[in-house]
Amino acid sequence: MQATKKSSGWHLRDVIMLTLIAIFFGFIFWIWAFAYDAVAATPLKPFANDITLGAWIMAGPLAGYLLRKAGASFLGEFLAAFAEMIIGSQWGVSTLLSGLIQGIGGELGFALTGYKKWNGLSLVLSTLTSTIVTFGYDLYASGYASYSFGMLIVLFVIRFLSIGFFGGVLVAAITKLIDKAGILNR
Amino acid sequence: MNASLKIAVALLISLEISFTKSISLNIALIVCAIIYLLFKQVNWKLMLYSIFLPILPAFGSWSSLYFYGTGDHVHMAFVLFTRIFAYIWIGSCFTFTTNIDELLKSLEQNFRLPNTFVYGVLAAFNFLPRIAQEVKTIRLAARMRGEVLHFYSPQIFFKAILTSFNWSNNLAQAMRSHGFAEGERRTHYHVIKIPTWNWLAAAAILIAVQAFLFMSPFN
Repeated sequence: MQATKKSSGWHLRDVIMLTLIAIFFGFIFWIWAFAYDAVAATPLKPFANDITLGAWIMAGPLAGYLLRKAGASFLGEFLAAFAEMIIGSQWGVSTLLSGLIQGIGGELGFALTGYKKWNGLSLVLSTLTSTIVTFGYDLYASGYASYSFGMLIVLFVIRFLSIGFFGGVLVAAITKLIDKAGILNR
Repeated sequence: MNASLKIAVALLISLEISFTKSISLNIALIVCAIIYLLFKQVNWKLMLYSIFLPILPAFGSWSSLYFYGTGDHVHMAFVLFTRIFAYIWIGSCFTFTTNIDELLKSLEQNFRLPNTFVYGVLAAFNFLPRIAQEVKTIRLAARMRGEVLHFYSPQIFFKAILTSFNWSNNLAQAMRSHGFAEGERRTHYHVIKIPTWNWLAAAAILIAVQAFLFMSPFN
């Protein structure tokens, strides 16, 4: 392996790794869409989006944590969305838009720490910014502006829990496994 | 049309319809997309796929707003229903007529995307079928040991990351040993130029969408 750990530039290996992870996530997202459909087929319909959303934002924080570079989180999320669209997403080109928005949301959390902290704090910040940014987008894109204020609060809390679980707890569990395996030798 | 321009137009239009509330514009876009795909003689099985795939999410969005919304929620319910179909069909105009090779080559030659990104992403995307296989393998291997891996099991992601890590090392080494140099100028066997009519067509499509939005008697 080349001595690329400390460098902030992007090397071929980083790009390939990021894209491979993104494609893995693309597949997992693609399968996850059927979970959304399963929830959408029950009376929980209006909550389907927010209950399942967390899984879709996972690629960002994980990529950020793995590569520890500015932009890694955004690119990981965006490429995963691109992979999902290529595989054949039920949301078509809006997958890419969501990837863009979710990527920005996740990246902001890491940016707030100035890309200096890669720990629980930056993950929590990342889940928080993801929730706020994606919710703001859905006010327009998914017609959330037509819901009552009470409903919006409920949706926001559900979304934060979902993102908190997938983008926070689960990502932390995965990174713990990775650290224990010692493959990133930092 | 050039691949980069096509995806840019598709993205801009879908960004616009994320914020507009015009049912007629969504329907007009769907019709135009279908005509374009018919003109391009896309496989009918893919077309059928694009018809049936969005039904569930579209119906989900429609019923959520129809039954739980307030204000002009009935109108918004139909806006969302048509919007999701528009997303799918606009997306199909790109994914069914262009491949990632063309897109990346065009981004490299026409829009100066660094070659590390172009060829790194390209190399990884060529592994797409193997990745699909790998996800199955990971789950089967776990089942042999009596473990069932779900999408929320950290192990499945951990294994996927390990695989990405190994493959990216091997691929990067293989590419370098075949003479790939990061950041070096490259010559191209297949030179991509964007003809003027492509720019004009892209501008015309975007202007037509705005014109429709402001002049259509329907909303």
